[in-house]
Formats: sequence, C-alpha cells, structure tokens
Amino acid sequence: MATSRLENDRSRPQLNWSLSLRNIGGYLRSNLKLSHKGIILVSVPLFFELMFLGVLASLLNQAEHQAARLEHSRSIIRHCNHLIQLMYDSGATIFGMTLSGEQSFSDKYGVLMTEIPAEFKKLDELVLGDADRRSRLAQAKAVADRLIVLLDGYKQSLDGGQRLALLVNGKAKLKEMKSLIDELIKFMQDFVLPDLNRQEVDSARELETRQLVKGFLLIGIFFNVLLAFTAAVFFSKSVANRLSSVTENTRRLARGMELKPPIPGSDEIATLDRVFHAMAGQLIEASRKERAVIENAVDVICSIDAEGKFLAVSPASFKLWGYQPAELIGYSYTELIEPHDLDDSISKFKAIRLGLSSASVENRTIRKDRTVVNVIWSAYWSDVERSMFCVVHDITGRKHAEDALKASEGRVRQIIDAMPVGLLVVDERGQIESINPRTEQLFGYNSEELIGQHLMLLFPHSHDEKPESFARQIFEKALGHVEEREAVKSNGELFPTELSLTRFETLDGNRFLANVLDLTERREVERLKREFVSTVSHELRTPLTAIRGSLTLITAGAVGELSEQLRKVVTIAERNTIRLISLINDLLDLDKLEAGKLDMHFDRFPLSSVIERSVESVRGFGDQHGVTIEADNTAAQVYADGDRLVQVVVNLLSNAVKFSSKGSAVQVRVKEEQDSVQIQVIDHGRGIPERYKNLLFQRFQQVEVADSKRRGGTGLGLAICKSIVEQHKGTIGVESEEGKGSTFWFRIPTTDNSKEQRA
Amino acid sequence: MKVVITDDEEDIRSVASMSLGILGGIDVVEAESGKDGIAKAAAEQPDVILLDAMMPEMDGPATLEALRNNPDTASIPVIFLTAKAIRSEVDKLRSMGALGVLSKPFDPTTLATQVREMLEKS
Repeated sequence: MATSRLENDRSRPQLNWSLSLRNIGGYLRSNLKLSHKGIILVSVPLFFELMFLGVLASLLNQAEHQAARLEHSRSIIRHCNHLIQLMYDSGATIFGMTLSGEQSFSDKYGVLMTEIPAEFKKLDELVLGDADRRSRLAQAKAVADRLIVLLDGYKQSLDGGQRLALLVNGKAKLKEMKSLIDELIKFMQDFVLPDLNRQEVDSARELETRQLVKGFLLIGIFFNVLLAFTAAVFFSKSVANRLSSVTENTRRLARGMELKPPIPGSDEIATLDRVFHAMAGQLIEASRKERAVIENAVDVICSIDAEGKFLAVSPASFKLWGYQPAELIGYSYTELIEPHDLDDSISKFKAIRLGLSSASVENRTIRKDRTVVNVIWSAYWSDVERSMFCVVHDITGRKHAEDALKASEGRVRQIIDAMPVGLLVVDERGQIESINPRTEQLFGYNSEELIGQHLMLLFPHSHDEKPESFARQIFEKALGHVEEREAVKSNGELFPTELSLTRFETLDGNRFLANVLDLTERREVERLKREFVSTVSHELRTPLTAIRGSLTLITAGAVGELSEQLRKVVTIAERNTIRLISLINDLLDLDKLEAGKLDMHFDRFPLSSVIERSVESVRGFGDQHGVTIEADNTAAQVYADGDRLVQVVVNLLSNAVKFSSKGSAVQVRVKEEQDSVQIQVIDHGRGIPERYKNLLFQRFQQVEVADSKRRGGTGLGLAICKSIVEQHKGTIGVESEEGKGSTFWFRIPTTDNSKEQRA
Repeated sequence: MKVVITDDEEDIRSVASMSLGILGGIDVVEAESGKDGIAKAAAEQPDVILLDAMMPEMDGPATLEALRNNPDTASIPVIFLTAKAIRSEVDKLRSMGALGVLSKPFDPTTLATQVREMLEKS
C-alpha cells in the first residue's frame, strides 16, 4: 500500500508536468497573438539552422586543418625522397664518370651538387618549429657533407686523369661512399618516419570527419523537416483550424444553424470569434424581435409579388379580414378590395410601383364574413425583390370618428347658424375671418362683404382712428367682459349692442370670438317697463290720493262731527290707506334701487345736517309714542346722497321709536373712523332674537308676523336701507340683546372711493 | 288767497279743494283740463295755480308753457302736483319754471300749509 502510494505520489508530478506542458501548448495556441506566432514560426527554425551551420563550419575548419597538416607531411616526405634520389644520382654519376669518362656526367654532378644543399634548406624550413627534427636533419646533413667531400675528392681524382687507377684501386672508396649513402638513407628514413605515421593517422581522421559531417547533415535535415512539420501543425492548430471555426460559424449563421462553441483564448481569432458570437446573438435577438413584431403587430404586414399575389402575410390578417395567412398566400390582394374601390386602388398601387405617388392607399376591403372594413395600405415597392411590402392599418374606427366629427361639426354649425347673437371670428389684428348668418342680418352685410374687413367697419369710430389702436382698445374693453357699445349697420343706422370677446387658440395663432347681441329689443322692453311703472304708480296713486284725502278730511272734522265708533272705523281705513301708499312707494324705490336705476346725487356735506333733518322728521312720531330722540353732535364730512342718507336714518329712527316703550329715549351716535363714519341708532326696546338678525335686512321680514299689523310698516324699510348703504359702498348691521334693546348701525366711507380708484 | 286747481280727476279736485278750502281757508277754483285751467286762471287771476303733471291732451308741462306764453297768466306762480314724484321728474318740472312740486298722494291736513310756505319762500 505504502509503496503504491509512493509510486502514485511520484507519478502525480509527472502527470502534472505533462498536463502543464499541454496547458502551455494550449495557452500558446490560444493566447499568443498572431504576430507573436509569426515571429515564433520564423525564429525557431532559424535558430536551429544557425546552430546547424555553426557545427558544420566548425567541422569544415577542422577538415581544412587536417588537410594542411597532411600536405605539410607529404611535402617533407617528397623532399626527403628527392634528397635520397639526389644522393643516389650523385653516386651513380661518379660511377658513370669512372666507367665512361664522359663529360656529361661531370656536368650532371655539378647540377646535383647545387640541388642537394637547396633540398636540405627546404627541409629545414619545413621543420623550422621542431628542434628535434632539425637536429636530426643536421645529423643527416653532416653525413651528406661527408659523402659530398668523398665524392668531390673522387671527382678531382677523375679530373686529374686517374680514371684508370681509380678503376683498379677505387673499389675501397666506392665502398665507403656506398656505406655513407646507406647511412644517409637510414637517417632520412628516420627523419621522415613521423610524417609517414601522421599521414596515415590524418587520413583516418579525415574520413572520420567526413562521416561526421555527413551524419550532421542528415540529422540537420531531419530536424529541419521535423521543425517545419511541427510549425505547420502548430500554425494549423492555432491559426488555420481556429480560423476555419470562425468561417464555419459564418456559414452556420447564414443557414440559421446553431453556432460552434466559442474558441477559448484571448488572441485575435478568439476575440474575433467572441465578437462574432456576440454579433450573431444580437442578430438572432433582432431577428426574433422582428419576427415577434411582425407576428404580434395589430396591423397586417405582407408582401405582394409583381402579379399582385400575396407572398407572405402576418397573422393579424385573421383579425383584420377573418382569413388566416395561409388562406391568403397565392391569392391576389384585389380579391379583398371592395369592387367600387377596385379600379382606383389598382391605379394607385401601380403608381406606387412606378414611384409616382405617395406610398399609401385608402380603400374599403371585404372581410371573410362579407362585412366592410376601411383600411389604409402603406406600401413600398422593392425593385430588387420584385415585390411590394405593405402595412395594412384598420381605419374603420377613425372613419367612424371622422363621420361622427363631421356630424358633430354639422350640428355645431347649425347651432351657430341658428344663434340669435352675431358671432364673428377675428384675428389678432381685428380682421374678420368668419361670421354666422345672424351677423349678416344684424349689420346688413353678406358674409363676402364682411370677411377680410376690419372689425372697426361695424362700430362707430373717429375718422383718424387707426385699425391697430381700435383693435387694441376694443380687445382691452371687451375681452372677458360684456361691453355695451353702439354698432353701425351697412345703411349707417346705429343700434345698441352688447359686445363680448373670448380668446381662443388655433394652430396658427390666437383668435377672438366676438359675440354681438342686439340690445334694441331689450332697450325697448326697458322703456316699456319704465312707462308701465310710471303708469301704475300714477294710476294707483290717483285713487289712493282721493281715498286718503277723503278719509283725512273726515277724521280732521272737515265734513262734520263724527261719532266715536265712526271715527275709529275711519281712522282704521286712513291708517291702512297710508300703509298701502308707503308699500307702493317702498316697492317702487326698492325696485329701482335693486335695478341700480335710482338716481343718486353724491356730494360732500356735513353729516350733522343729515342727522338734524332725520331727527326733525321723526320727532313728531316720537312724541306720539312718548319717546325722546337724542343725537350726537358731529363735525364729520361725508361724500354721499344726503336725501338717501336721511331716508336711511329716518327709517332706523322710526323703527327704534316703534319698538321703544313709552318714556324711553332713542340715541343717534356717530363714530368717526379712519376713512369712514359709523352712525348708530340705539333703542332700549325688547331686542331682536339672534336667529332673526340676518333675516331683518331681507324683504318683508319682521321679527313677529303681528308686528306688521300692530306697529305698521311694510317690511321693506331695512331692505331699502341696506340697498342705499350698499350704493354708498358701505355696510349695515345690528347688535342686539333680547330684553335690553338694539343698536342698528351703518358705516359709509367719508371720501369718494370711486374717484380715488379712477385717479 | 285764491287758487286754481287743475286736475283731470274730479275726485282729486274735490279732495284738494276741500283741503285747501275747508281746512286751509283758501278760495278754490277747479279746472278739469289744461285748457280749462288756462281760461280760469286768466279769468280769476289766482295767487297760485296747482297743476296736475299728468293729464290727457294737454299735460302739466304743456299747460305751464301755455300759461307762460299768455300775458294774462304769465306771472302767476305754478305748483305741480305729481304722482310720479321721483327726483328726476321733480327736477325737470322745477327747471320749467314751477314754484314747487307736491307729490301725490298729498296730506290734506298740510296741503294748504305747504302751498302757503312755497308762496312765502318765493
């Protein structure tokens, strides 16, 4: 167990190594940039080739060196041989001379004797650096010198004519010569021995070197081939294969097939592939969306070929026409079109095909259930595809809305035409743009005469008035208000109108709607009403004057003495007649006050005069009730209608007297304030319950129904007071405590507010 | 003192003449129209003429104008009696040269006093 674990432990690092080597290969394949790969692809074989060339060069160098040494040895051997040859030749020459005595031998000998020292000299040069060999050569030369001396002596003997003697006696000398030559040869052979040995050794080495070079050459070629193959594999794996993967992906994308998984790594190809995957993802997503849009579009999206037949139709066709896309494809679009619209539609589609008209056609189409649906075709003709691409939109709703709008417009038009007021639309400069028929009747112009004219044509203005200033002032006065203004008809006749302007916005700027109401009739009615009131008032007053006068004459005793009962009855009649007259007066007053038609004469005067007149006029009434009237003195000035103020104070004082008990007093108090003055009328009567306080100033309101009968009064007095005070821009009110009395007050401004506002 | 009272309403004339005559101690001559009033005024030469403002045919203002144009009556003061005693009407009548304006219905007990006061003031 332990061993195997050890083995396992040992084997694991190896595995890791091989794994990590493979990882490095993979890393290089996928993460190195293409440029780096190119550099590796060139530099690795180059390195190996350079190394290979270096080894070869070194081998060549070695071979050359060996050849030089061999040549050197050969040279020494050649010269030694030559020297031995020369020695033999000199001996042979002497021997020849001895035998023949010919001169030619003597000449040859002379040549030999000059060559021998030269050869020695050459040999000495060849072994210049080798001291041992030089000494051996010197020994050989000494032997040669002894031989030469011997030969020279022999020659001299020959030259001295001792040839025959030498033939007989010269044997000993020749023998000596022969032994010297043999000695010399022996010396030379010894001398040349190292070169002979070396020649043998060097030849073997040369062969060895040649074989080494041959071997190296084979190994180098093998390595280069291997390297080239490895590089090719590497390149193919790292570039070509990966590139083909990208190419394959483009092919797959084009065919809509699933892409190969992304190439690992971070080099250009991996990046390209990643980008391609991302792009393909986006393309697929875009295409999916496009398909989803087309399939889910509410509008029908379709393509139609040059013959007008549907090539493709989106599913919306079912909702629009009741046909599934498959039911339409291959059929002509003309079969859907309502026959009345067919010719027009076909010519329009042709025009679109020729690029002559705008790209939409509106027509009616027939659904499968034979109902009609209004559609608009937005079409585009593609010359490349030879087909028309259309979006068909249902406009039935819009058509209905348009029809409804037309009907509504028609109704509004009818209303405007039937309006009893004149309506004019004018622009911001005051130019009339449109009018209603009532305007034509009002002013006596027809619409052609009025449209384009300025509004000032219809209203009187000074001769030098400019249209701009006229428009400005009329807009200022009548915009958002009702203005009474005289208008002028085409015949120059003037008539009263009520003019009001309203601003409204249109697409091309602001417009004003002028509303002209003819007041002629209203004015006539007012006049008639005034006459009626006047008549009624006269016709009622005349008999009342007679009745009241008669009754007063009776009670005054002008027609004789009366019995007590008769006086009582006549007094009742007189009192009620007076009440009826007051009621008529008050009603007429109030009617005018509330219509704002009561003449008011404002003036500045001391308030004391009003109080004095009022007190004076009520004093007799107070005396009748046993009530005294006390009034403050005041220096206050008021801006008011004096008679109307007296009317108010008299009314309040009369009420106060009426509701005071006998023997009590009524006070008139004056309180001056900042810009106003308050007048109070105080009584000590029964007071007014809280719930009546607000009702008192309305018409016909009295605290108790019986009051009107018992104490007289029309129930209009306080309403008249309130109207008069309000005409003075004042306020009126009451404070009261039941059982203790009441304080009626009114407050009016002391200055002319309206004037100040105008200033 | 003598007064010519001109009113188309007989009842009013009666009440007025009784008020002035019985209660006021004034001589009263009644006239039933503007024309009649002018004739009576010219004949009687009263101290004052009471003239109803609203009468058929010849109304108060027209009668006043005729009185002023007649040398016999031109100087006799005129007091109008009117049922339409609104201020504008009163001012209009005054501006025509009337001495005063009395409103209908009048108070018979004070009518003579009022007439006298107006005459005295003038």
